[in-house]
Amino acid sequence: MPAKAEDIMKGFKLNWMNLRDADNGKILWQSSDDLSAPGQDHEARVPKKILKCRAVSREINFSSKEAMDKFRLEQRVLFKGKCLEEWFFEFGFVIPGSTNTWQSVIEAAPESQMMPANVLTGNVIIETHFFDGDLLVSKSKVKIFYV
Amino acid sequence: MGLLDLIRKLKSSQDKELRILLLGLDNAGKTTLLKKLASEDVSHITPTQGFNIKSVVSSGFKLNVWDIGGQRKIRPYWRNYFENTDVLIYVIDSADQKRFEETGLELSELLEEPKLQGVPLLIYANKQDLLQAAQASEIARGLSLDTIRDRKWHIQACSAQSGEGIKEGIDWMSTVVGKKK
Repeated sequence: MPAKAEDIMKGFKLNWMNLRDADNGKILWQSSDDLSAPGQDHEARVPKKILKCRAVSREINFSSKEAMDKFRLEQRVLFKGKCLEEWFFEFGFVIPGSTNTWQSVIEAAPESQMMPANVLTGNVIIETHFFDGDLLVSKSKVKIFYV
Repeated sequence: MGLLDLIRKLKSSQDKELRILLLGLDNAGKTTLLKKLASEDVSHITPTQGFNIKSVVSSGFKLNVWDIGGQRKIRPYWRNYFENTDVLIYVIDSADQKRFEETGLELSELLEEPKLQGVPLLIYANKQDLLQAAQASEIARGLSLDTIRDRKWHIQACSAQSGEGIKEGIDWMSTVVGKKK
């Protein structure tokens, strides 16, 4: 029998998130607080030099007690509410009792088009929505500060 | 190597997307290999209790690499991830001779899967940095790889820990992607 929506939502946990320089795999920021705390915006203090990276990866780690058949996520990077970048990713099946990671890599805009850190800081939000089919399982918002 | 170098190597003109599936027994080194491909630190790796995915996009071309846990209790779920696979990478711990039979059985089951029919197979004979590691040629004989007729295959000795041999496997992969069917 398929798990009930309530059980799926209760059994889902976003464990951590990180940002890496995709060229050398070095972690530039890793979340420390409980990202799954509902209805809370999280803040990331990321070194400014991340804006110089040729490519940055974002990695998330999540657990699910229940099996899911049509798991997918929508991730958007917003600047002052305007979408700069979006990812739609279809995972499909999620193993019951599993812990999983997903990492996405995208090349940075050419340096000439890159906005400076003082313009970006506090105005960039990484928003991730997790779905099983049409059911919104969880969402997270991380506000980025460049320090 | 990094993921951007990997995607540049594997980019083909025919396809918009490439899906690579990494399978093998637990402790074969799948996650270490995956992280090494991304130039990440491989000193603290724990058994995968689900999947690890790396997605890269470059000039409209998408690469997704799926690493699924190899523990016995997870293996029955592998089948959920077969669909649309372009290349199967099967990782073997070359030093764990006691489990050659077990890994051979799992591999032969995969080769009979209709959803993986004709999918090119890259076998990494991993952990060549260990003294007791069997040679790739020995493993190939043990698994009777030369009887595989329905797909392109290649066995590559490597050490995911040091990175040695990984590139050669990727080079082989780049010769088969975009040319299948």
